[in-house]
Amino acid sequence: MSTGIDHLRELRKRGLLEKAYDQVAAALAEEEPGGARADTAAAGRLLGGLDPEAVLSHHPATPVVTVAVTGQSTVGQVLDPLRGELARHGLLLRPVLGEHGTYLRDLTDPTSELHAAAPDLTLCLLDAETVFEQVPGVWRPEDVEAAACEVLDRCAALADAAPGTLVLNTLPLPLTYSRQLIDHRSRARLGAVWREFNARLLRLTERSPALVVIDLDPLTADGGPVTDARLARYAKVRLGAGLLAGYAREVAHLARALRGATRKCLVLDLDRTLWDGVLAEEGPDGIAAAGTLRGEAFGAFQTCVKQLASQGVLLAVSSKNDAAEVARVLADHPDLVLRERDFAAVNANWEPKDGNLADIAGQLDLSTDALVFADDSAAERAQVRHGLPGVAVVPLDDEPATHIARLLADGWFDAVGLTDEDRARTGEYRARRARRELHAGSGSHEEFLRALGLRLEVGPPRPHEAARISQLTLRTNQFNLAGGGLTEAAVKGLAADPEREVLVARTADRFGDNGLVGAVLIGRSPGQWRLENLWLSCRVLGRGVERAFVAVLLSRARRLGLHTVDARYVPTARNHRAGDLYPSCGFAVRRLPGSGEHGDGASGYRHDLTVLPGIPGHICVTESGKAPR
Amino acid sequence: MSAADLTGLDAFLRIVGDDLGLDVEHPAGADLALTEVPGWDSLNLLRLVVLLEESGHRVPVHRLLEAQSLRDIHTLVKEYG
Repeated sequence: MSTGIDHLRELRKRGLLEKAYDQVAAALAEEEPGGARADTAAAGRLLGGLDPEAVLSHHPATPVVTVAVTGQSTVGQVLDPLRGELARHGLLLRPVLGEHGTYLRDLTDPTSELHAAAPDLTLCLLDAETVFEQVPGVWRPEDVEAAACEVLDRCAALADAAPGTLVLNTLPLPLTYSRQLIDHRSRARLGAVWREFNARLLRLTERSPALVVIDLDPLTADGGPVTDARLARYAKVRLGAGLLAGYAREVAHLARALRGATRKCLVLDLDRTLWDGVLAEEGPDGIAAAGTLRGEAFGAFQTCVKQLASQGVLLAVSSKNDAAEVARVLADHPDLVLRERDFAAVNANWEPKDGNLADIAGQLDLSTDALVFADDSAAERAQVRHGLPGVAVVPLDDEPATHIARLLADGWFDAVGLTDEDRARTGEYRARRARRELHAGSGSHEEFLRALGLRLEVGPPRPHEAARISQLTLRTNQFNLAGGGLTEAAVKGLAADPEREVLVARTADRFGDNGLVGAVLIGRSPGQWRLENLWLSCRVLGRGVERAFVAVLLSRARRLGLHTVDARYVPTARNHRAGDLYPSCGFAVRRLPGSGEHGDGASGYRHDLTVLPGIPGHICVTESGKAPR
Repeated sequence: MSAADLTGLDAFLRIVGDDLGLDVEHPAGADLALTEVPGWDSLNLLRLVVLLEESGHRVPVHRLLEAQSLRDIHTLVKEYG
């Protein structure tokens, strides 16, 4: 049987790899015999001779990830698996390799080659020698503790100095060090010191938004030896091929997440995927997700899926079954962990699954490349792969005990950080469905708005909301009045700026809470506000929230005794819909100081606060923060 | 790949070329200094160590790291089996 790797080898022989780079991801997504995955390190070796520029000349839209690699020991061998893992996701690696043993200079010297390359990701591979090179040849756990403290300080400093997102890793403790201590009390002490170091390293990510620490412990627990003693000794390869393959996979998922290409929805088959048995043949009594050995394995899989859902992964069903029977089972089968309310869409019918997945994507306003599809049937997987190549396919098989590992192997939903809004997403989509049904059942749009019971709250953000504000401003394109967004660090910085202020908008309606959906960045000077930028999530547009938000801001300004509110609109490729917001709220056009010099096409507006715009009658407004009534 | 595959020089060169992604001419490439092999970098030797290990050959690593040409390596493979 010809595999994806064979296909690549053939392309390489014919000198067609660059020209056919757009086929590489699909080739690597093909299943190997037995449902195994392709050897991505081998694929990465085959792709090693690729000229990234030549690939780009054939396929200019190929997303490129520039990755700088440096570290304690020999690190170049991470490039093969990394190149392969990125290729699986359609990404093209542009590597920059630091000199062996010079990671401190590589990362902290702004004139280094690594800095000059402006990498998206900087990998600094650490290993036990990072600590042990500072420990004398004859040592006690106290020596390791002192050395680990120094290394930790160094790592904390690197997080601020390194270009791009810095990726560090926890240090596996080699048995050959542990066993050099012959008493159990000292070994325990070493183990504790070592883990305290790793724990503190992991905790550095809590204060450094641009730092990611990959925990190698779960990878070594799953994947065998950290390295080979001979390669470690003779070639300074202290992290072996197996471990680096796992590491490279984590890094590729991170690169994908940083590009915003995180998948959003998991579409699941039912029979032999979520439960044992075939519903249409054996009836509800013939299926099991508890109570039998195999049944319990399916139950554990459902619990794992629910855990993903609790973090904002949308769930959907695509199953060849009768809809009514599936609805009954999801409602009252005693074995099930997942219920109808856990799913944003349930498509149970006898139509081909590619069409059903396209339909599910449509229902949820997602593109099909936001979907992940898990099914135990090779035929269904092949049909979806063929019909919808953008969908990621998880090959489950007839062994339910491995369902969880197979589902999680590709980290399709990995993100750098989650916000409260992410966690509440399933409820949000369910509410969206209910709103759509209400709209369809209402006689007019006005009737729908009145029935919606919309509430708008405007006030200062809460301290923990910086991440959400940053996410909103960076992801909002359509209702982004001046273009651009704020990083989390910038949002936090504004809290300490006496001349600037951020106010946020939250909405809710009878179907649920939308959370933080709007933000405005205000510049304050005596008697005046300048609305420097205003962002509003497209989820709430079309219901009068945009005008109500501005009306509340103007009324707040008047109550604060101000004379004018200035605002500006800077057109971008995507925000034309927001172009008439300020004029529609009674702002007058004003000439911008220095206009015509920047060439950004900005329009300036001023409101004198004499006649305030009304708030639409269907919106109930509350305000918080310092604004006298 | 099994141990038997690598005993003939031609098969050795072909498989090594395929797996390491190198363009090795048969048989002239066997006698080139490793650094002269098109596409060769220092990591190839490490990959080769892993490759031989995976295919059941027990060549001492320090000897592989000292090899000067692909023919040297092939000789070691035959010597240690």
